[in-house]
Amino acid sequence: MEERLSLIFVSGGVRSGKSSFAEELAIKIARQYDAHNSSQSDCILHYIAAGQASDEEMKARIAHHQRNRNESKVNWKTWEQPIGLKRLEDVFDITDVVLLDCLTTLLNNEFFREGEKWRNPSFQAQLMEDIIEGIEMIVSSCQTLIIVSNEVFYEPYSDNELTMIYKKMLGKLHQKLVRMANRAYLVEVGIPILMKGDH
Amino acid sequence: MHFVTGGAFNGKSQWVKEYYKLNETPHQWISVYGGELPNLWTEKEAIYQQPFMVFDGIESVFKVWVQKYDVSDIRDMWRSFIDSWNEWEQNDPQRNVVIIGTDFSKGIVPLQALDRKWRDVTGWAYQDIVSVAERVEIVWYGIARQIK
Repeated sequence: MEERLSLIFVSGGVRSGKSSFAEELAIKIARQYDAHNSSQSDCILHYIAAGQASDEEMKARIAHHQRNRNESKVNWKTWEQPIGLKRLEDVFDITDVVLLDCLTTLLNNEFFREGEKWRNPSFQAQLMEDIIEGIEMIVSSCQTLIIVSNEVFYEPYSDNELTMIYKKMLGKLHQKLVRMANRAYLVEVGIPILMKGDH
Repeated sequence: MHFVTGGAFNGKSQWVKEYYKLNETPHQWISVYGGELPNLWTEKEAIYQQPFMVFDGIESVFKVWVQKYDVSDIRDMWRSFIDSWNEWEQNDPQRNVVIIGTDFSKGIVPLQALDRKWRDVTGWAYQDIVSVAERVEIVWYGIARQIK
């Protein structure tokens, strides 16, 4: 029986090559799909960009990723979605491949969406639920969703409440997503290590 | 002895609970987060009630110790703790000791000297326990990889 690849989780450190790997993987999956289904319409590649060009450094980082995607000669349909994944409910087709880059930025944007509310445990729970629901919705409306996120869990504890709450939420989201995912990769120095599923 | 490590918030405790089916296995779970290890290796008989012992958050012990002792004393105290529990475990095939410790060795060098000492000591202490443990696991978001 053919496995339906609905969710792939990709994580790695800063500059580990996780985004490039995830983009190549998305392209590969889309091409494989097109090769097997020549009579039907082409599979569209979507890119959900969570980053906001809030300062010069962020602008440069976004430009770097955009340049890479343009150089790959593949047409990406880009969705600037710093918060509120659920707004993308009706935009994908069941044959499409969607890449979300990255979850850490999305969580960061959602975290501060209502000022100081991040201190409130029920706000934190609601926020995680919103993100998971948004992801489940996208997974069920496209062929494959690839989520890119960061490894931020290997530093000494900080006494900073904000950092601890953020890390705890991100850790819980990662655990949940790895459970949901058909495949999970840890990218180390450009090399993807398959942690869950089959190639 | 079984050592379980991995990053913070990666589901290490949850993995131990599920793997050993602890909801149906009598055990004693000692969470040392934020506190100091009691003198367990001299008070074992009084403290343990179950053949299955879990020590969770072991890195917290070193955070307290680095404020009071130098590195070589900490290594000695830690090795005697490991040896003593290892011996306790080996004396009865029913007994099990699981130690859970967070890996925080991969960030930027901490600014504070005590935090650097804590991070160094914890790395050495983990090497000590890995040399004694017959099994070692790294947990990544709930997925375990046995490395020994």
